[in-house]
Amino acid sequence: MTPALSISNLRKVYRRGTVAVDGLSMTIAPGDFFGFLGPNGAGKSTTIHCVTGIATPTSGTIEIFGVDAVKDYREARRLIGLSPQEFNVDPFATARQIVEWMGGYFGMHAAERKRRADELLERFDLTVHQKKPFRELSGGLKRRVILARALIHDPKLLILDEPTAGVDVELRRDLWRYLQELNRDGTTILLTSHYLEEVERLCRTIAIINAGKIVKHGPKADFMSAGLEAAYLTATGAEPDHIAGAA
Amino acid sequence: MTPMTINWIGLWTIIRRDTSRILRVPIQVFVAPWISALMFIFIFGFVVGPRIATIGGHRYLEFVLPGILMMNIINAAFLQSSSQIYFQRFLRYIEEALVAPLSYVEMIAGSLSVVIVRCVATALGILVIAALFGVTSIYNLPEFLFWVVVVATIFGLLGIIVALWAKNFEQLSVLNVFFITPLTFIGGVFNTASMLPPWLRWMAYGNPFFYFVNGLRHSMIGFSDASETLGVTVSLAMCAILGVTVWRLFFIGYGLRE
Repeated sequence: MTPALSISNLRKVYRRGTVAVDGLSMTIAPGDFFGFLGPNGAGKSTTIHCVTGIATPTSGTIEIFGVDAVKDYREARRLIGLSPQEFNVDPFATARQIVEWMGGYFGMHAAERKRRADELLERFDLTVHQKKPFRELSGGLKRRVILARALIHDPKLLILDEPTAGVDVELRRDLWRYLQELNRDGTTILLTSHYLEEVERLCRTIAIINAGKIVKHGPKADFMSAGLEAAYLTATGAEPDHIAGAA
Repeated sequence: MTPMTINWIGLWTIIRRDTSRILRVPIQVFVAPWISALMFIFIFGFVVGPRIATIGGHRYLEFVLPGILMMNIINAAFLQSSSQIYFQRFLRYIEEALVAPLSYVEMIAGSLSVVIVRCVATALGILVIAALFGVTSIYNLPEFLFWVVVVATIFGLLGIIVALWAKNFEQLSVLNVFFITPLTFIGGVFNTASMLPPWLRWMAYGNPFFYFVNGLRHSMIGFSDASETLGVTVSLAMCAILGVTVWRLFFIGYGLRE
């Protein structure tokens, strides 16, 4: 079966010589809920940026459902929805404009765009806020707009870069339910998060990246013998094996 | 690879998005150049103009109006594309387009379309103001439209290059302050090349802005001070060179991608 995401020997070196990703290879099976963990600066966001076109890979190959993300980038982009860590939006645009414009970029017709935007704004309780400029929304509402924007074109692979950072408990729980529904309906999800509880609850497969390399990768069960936190701390070298296990 | 087809809806969305942004700041985008042009027209029409002899059989205000129009078209084009792209980079919402199935040509064409819309609207407003002073005339409409569109495209492309290069707001204004404004003023806006001392005429003939002003002036009042063929050739060559340069910068992701 064609993987939802296949990354082979990805390397990303920034202009000043910083090696952000160093020979990273991994695959995500279609329909998987994949947790991508690592400390700050480990290369998670850079990997995501290479997959989505925000960064140019230095070398290596990336395929989205078998489509080359560099050579056939337009076709590959159609398959991906991205909810980035930072709010990369026009702060003066309204919530509805942000969501609908993204649908337009993906070539959706006006009627289809409106129907889907209505559905997502309703789903994320944004209908009453749809005419407000983004900059006037609270942090939680902003996060919902970003999620709605990522989902407007109904992507087959949804990439969520710390989607629950800074949101309240209610929204986090609601979002978890929604993501589980999406995943049940067939959407492959790649999630990065610093909340290990979130990853433990949602993901079936986990990879840990450290200093630009995958240091541990496998089904969630492989990480759970001593607990995900201990496995994470050991894999990233933050704590030696025996201390992490005892914590 | 999938055959390339044009994402018309994506292109139209870029145009709608950028147009909605200029409509948020109408005073800055439209009213400011119209008032500036009104002041130029008033001064040259009623204060300075009557004391200057006709040029090629045209009143001084008729002679200078195409130059005033060209100055505003150049400014509008450069400011539109440079500020649009720079703000998208600065606030990172350029990433919305980067993650979408849009080709580089569609992104560039979308930005340039709005540059042209802004320039045409600016030009129309100035023509209406000039009409109130009884000086608006179009000698050759296709030629007039050619110059508005070509000059808007040239400075729209230059604005994109500067916006991709600039690391801060200070750098964004460098080209405008040190090149565009001086070259416009010595580019025959207020005088013919023959009014310059012979040893200074190279400043006109060696200045591409001179041919833009001259071309627009010919399309409006039929007066020309230089070879129009040379002007058209220089302008189209600039469009082609800048167009390829901008496409290449998008292709390699200069200033756009990490």
